[in-house]
Amino acid sequence: MTIWWLIVIISLLILVLLAFIWLALRLGNNSFSKTKNAAPYEQAAQLDVEHIFDDKFREELRNRGRLHFEKIIGENAMFLQQDLRLTTSQLNDYMKQEITRKLQEEFAKYEQSINDAKQLAMDSIQKTNNAIDEQRKTLSVQVQKEYIDEKARLIRQFEVNMAEIINHYVLSAIGNQIDLNEQLEFILSDLEANKKAIIEDIVHGA
Amino acid sequence: MEPNSQPKARIQLPVQVVGLVDINRLIREVEGLDDFLMQAAIRMPGSNMKLPRTSRIFDEFVAVNHFNMLQTADRRAVASFLQTIKLQTPVLHMSFASDPTAAFTVKLVMWLRTNIHPYLLLQIGLEPRIAAGCIVRTPNKQFDFSLRRHFISRRDQLISVLKG
Repeated sequence: MTIWWLIVIISLLILVLLAFIWLALRLGNNSFSKTKNAAPYEQAAQLDVEHIFDDKFREELRNRGRLHFEKIIGENAMFLQQDLRLTTSQLNDYMKQEITRKLQEEFAKYEQSINDAKQLAMDSIQKTNNAIDEQRKTLSVQVQKEYIDEKARLIRQFEVNMAEIINHYVLSAIGNQIDLNEQLEFILSDLEANKKAIIEDIVHGA
Repeated sequence: MEPNSQPKARIQLPVQVVGLVDINRLIREVEGLDDFLMQAAIRMPGSNMKLPRTSRIFDEFVAVNHFNMLQTADRRAVASFLQTIKLQTPVLHMSFASDPTAAFTVKLVMWLRTNIHPYLLLQIGLEPRIAAGCIVRTPNKQFDFSLRRHFISRRDQLISVLKG
């Protein structure tokens, strides 16, 4: 919109300049034709006119015209300058607004993209977390079950082999200190308890 | 061989004679002595001869049974008795956690010959894993008198103690 204003102002200035030139030319032509048509009458008046419009007067008119023209030019230049400043200012504002708007749009898009990516990443992480939690729960249950089974197995194994284990530890602890002479009484009592079976096997077994 | 079917009722087997190894040694000694005396009988009179040395067990055996080993009949009787023992006498195998001492073996053999069979021979083995007690093997049976067996028989009691 400011560019159009600028174009209009420049056009007006050009029109004013053309009008001024046309006016100057018209004035020059009129004076020449009048002088030609009313030659007899006017010659007399010419002299008077020449007395009136002598070179000094003309020079003064020219100066006045020049001043007027300069004044108009100056005013128009001032207007043009003001308009240009205004236009530049508006253009700056417009550019600022446009750039800001574009940047905001781009930033909004960028933010939206980031948010989308973030959401996707969050969803993915959430899914992964859910999967990991699920696996952890499954693993935990499995490990717990394995642990219970292993514990039960170890206890069962221990109970089954308890005699062997205790025997092993007794042997490790006091195996070297067990004297056979001290066991003789127990061995003889065991033999006494099984005496009948031993005799039976010796007598009838072979 | 039953207790009442002894080779010779008056012959005693000393408790120092424990197993077949001792019986074989006695047989070798009596055969050696017999050979020596037979050789001595056909030698020239007055030649220098030296009696073979016999073991303490052999001397004990001869002394206990009042044998005169210079007599051929006694030597034959001893040899016959020992062969009969070797072939017919039951052998009891006993395993211990460690090597028993001689005194322990004597006491054990004495009890076995008093209570089980008068000519019973004992073969001693080693079974370190039993910790204490012994394992007795007769021709057809095995009797576990070890500490391990004792623990196994008391397993329920041990478990109840452990469980509180």
